[in-house]
Amino acid sequence: MKRPTTWIVRVDLTTGNVVRSAVDGSLSQSYLGGPGVGWRLMADALAPGIDPLSPQNVICINPGVLVGTLTPGTPKTTVITKFPTEASEDGKHFVGACTAGGRYLGLALKRAGCHHLLITGKADKPSVLRIRDESIDLIDASNYWGEGIEDVMIDLVEREGPESGTIVIGTSGENLVRHALTIVDRANSLGRGGLGAVMGSKNLKAIVVNGTGDIEVADPARFIEASERLRDSVMQWPRREHWIDLGLAAGWDTFKHTQYPGIWPKDRWDELYGEKTRMETVEDVIGCNSCILGCRLRWRTKGGEFDGEVGFGSPFSKSATSGMLLGEEDFRRMIHFVADANSRTGIDFYTTTRIIDFVTKMYELGRIGPSQTGGLELCRDYDTYQKLYEMTVNREGFGDVLADGWMRLKRDLGLDPQEYWYAGICKGVDFIYDARPSNFHPLMMTFTTRPRPHHGGSHTRTNSRNKTLEEIRDQVERWGLAKETIDHIFTESSYSGKFNVGRYTRYMEDMMRVKNAIGLCTIYTYQGLLFGDDIAELYAAASGHEMTALGMVECGERIHNVAKMINVREGFGRVDDAIPEVWFRAMESPEGRIEMQDYYQTKTLVKADTDRILDDYYDERGWDPRTGRPTVVRLEALGIEEFASELAA
Amino acid sequence: MEERKEGESPGRLVVLAQNCRGCRSCQLACSFEKHSVFNPGKSMIVMERDLVNGRVAPMIKPIGCDLCGGDPVCASACKYGAITYEAGPAREKIVVRPWSKEAS
Repeated sequence: MKRPTTWIVRVDLTTGNVVRSAVDGSLSQSYLGGPGVGWRLMADALAPGIDPLSPQNVICINPGVLVGTLTPGTPKTTVITKFPTEASEDGKHFVGACTAGGRYLGLALKRAGCHHLLITGKADKPSVLRIRDESIDLIDASNYWGEGIEDVMIDLVEREGPESGTIVIGTSGENLVRHALTIVDRANSLGRGGLGAVMGSKNLKAIVVNGTGDIEVADPARFIEASERLRDSVMQWPRREHWIDLGLAAGWDTFKHTQYPGIWPKDRWDELYGEKTRMETVEDVIGCNSCILGCRLRWRTKGGEFDGEVGFGSPFSKSATSGMLLGEEDFRRMIHFVADANSRTGIDFYTTTRIIDFVTKMYELGRIGPSQTGGLELCRDYDTYQKLYEMTVNREGFGDVLADGWMRLKRDLGLDPQEYWYAGICKGVDFIYDARPSNFHPLMMTFTTRPRPHHGGSHTRTNSRNKTLEEIRDQVERWGLAKETIDHIFTESSYSGKFNVGRYTRYMEDMMRVKNAIGLCTIYTYQGLLFGDDIAELYAAASGHEMTALGMVECGERIHNVAKMINVREGFGRVDDAIPEVWFRAMESPEGRIEMQDYYQTKTLVKADTDRILDDYYDERGWDPRTGRPTVVRLEALGIEEFASELAA
Repeated sequence: MEERKEGESPGRLVVLAQNCRGCRSCQLACSFEKHSVFNPGKSMIVMERDLVNGRVAPMIKPIGCDLCGGDPVCASACKYGAITYEAGPAREKIVVRPWSKEAS
């Protein structure tokens, strides 16, 4: 049995130097591979305290261990970097991981032998990093600067060939908008929190990758047997037929309750943004590589001022929540807005539209006026939104303030992000869900506890309402947790209801690290299609290292603690994990008052309750609940005592 | 089974481009079957990429494809019905039905 060799490729954009080295086998065993190993590399590669938009920042790109192996739902590449979003009033920035699938990128990286691609420095002019197997160079991208994402992607693929994987930034990334993201291939967004601006700060317009190498597994016969068994079991999913017709446009009946912004009555929202509008707009569902479900969309607008417009991605949920927040009744206009952000400017649509909503309302209330907006009158209409969007992307006038995100609104305009009425903000990032309509389930918790406040692969069954306790329990049982551990999680309490969200969240985060390490899409675990025991068997056959489900969770815990320690040395602690204040205020909606309740809606949660849940989370992690940081004992138990000195600092 | 005439194939692969979601499972299954590695470049299938319309479709290279001896792995790997296999004598080994609005 031959264990596949994996490679670290370090590229310095300042000098053009490229250094390639093999990954030490023991590192793969402790950290699984993919972004697990990537996190450990970042602990050494990234100096603490640096400006995320300086040449010292590192972009660490890691396709998952099972990417390109025909395993259902394993297309994901994870990127680790220090994000430019201002995470606190005292200027901290989190180091986080973001993930994306795609048809081409992960596969191309692995075929080119780039299992961990670490990019640092700054190119002297706008450039594209071009990878053709071991030949890696920078090509002049002056003609791309100022151009939209989709046009650049098409040109690059025409030049480099149809197998090319791409990561491209738009104009917002060039202009260092702190919430600029990137687009992978054509339909997958990557990097909420500002990966696009990090690339822009390095003069890096795009990365284009081609490889010709083999993707090997240690034990081919064992691997394909396990992989085929999984494919067969996923095919039995009763909802598959509906899902492959509508992809991410499916699920409105769940979505309209869990992500309800509380302004219109629900039946009006149904009419304006519901399943009917989705059915008439979706043309194709697009699969990432090895996916046998598919979720991304190719859609076409019919009627209205954008008749015939075609776009890629998943515009429906974004357009529906932001459409209600902004009071825009024409879903086609909002879909156009999402499409422009995806295909041209690369700005984070959630953050952009919510900031627009916030400042417009503050203007209406007289909290800010023309002297702050540079004379611009902020009206609640589509034309004004479009103007503010362009000004943000280009950092023009008032847009320059908006381009720096929530913290600058507080600094410059005295508008506290905690006043914002929807979703909630933690570490400078607005969540895509709100715990009041959603209830306080583990994903809500992980938004606040994980270093980068976005889901990034941490969904479980509890994302949907009212799943049975058996189903929720089954999900941790199939990851091999001990019975006592599970019983402890499922002990009823006055503050968390029928199960302990804090304790559950710990394992959910560790599983998220595992999923990202191997490249598994969270939809497969969220829908209850794949579990830890399935993944362990595949991992063992692919890597040549025997593995159990529990063994994977333990590696996930190690990875999570390394990620946490990198953030501890950036100054993060319990105070930064605070639950957004808005969740404790009732949402006054036409459907009545909506308060944050426990998962089974037995009681309204107050701060004393969530404080206890947070205590339990730290306790389950073996961390210090006062500081919210790992303990020396825990680090030693995980074999990562080299980080203990950071705790004293 | 009907008797096969000179020059005929024992069966045929039917490609229905309309159904392709671009997951590339066919390519990975093919290279694994023939070489025990995953590598689209070693498969008998090229994934066409229509950049203008954003569509993809598998193109199977007839020369070199042996239909896996009558049980082609590309067809069993395709879960979207874009590649199917029909056993029985056929004049052409690969039949392609291109993308069209009417087909589905």
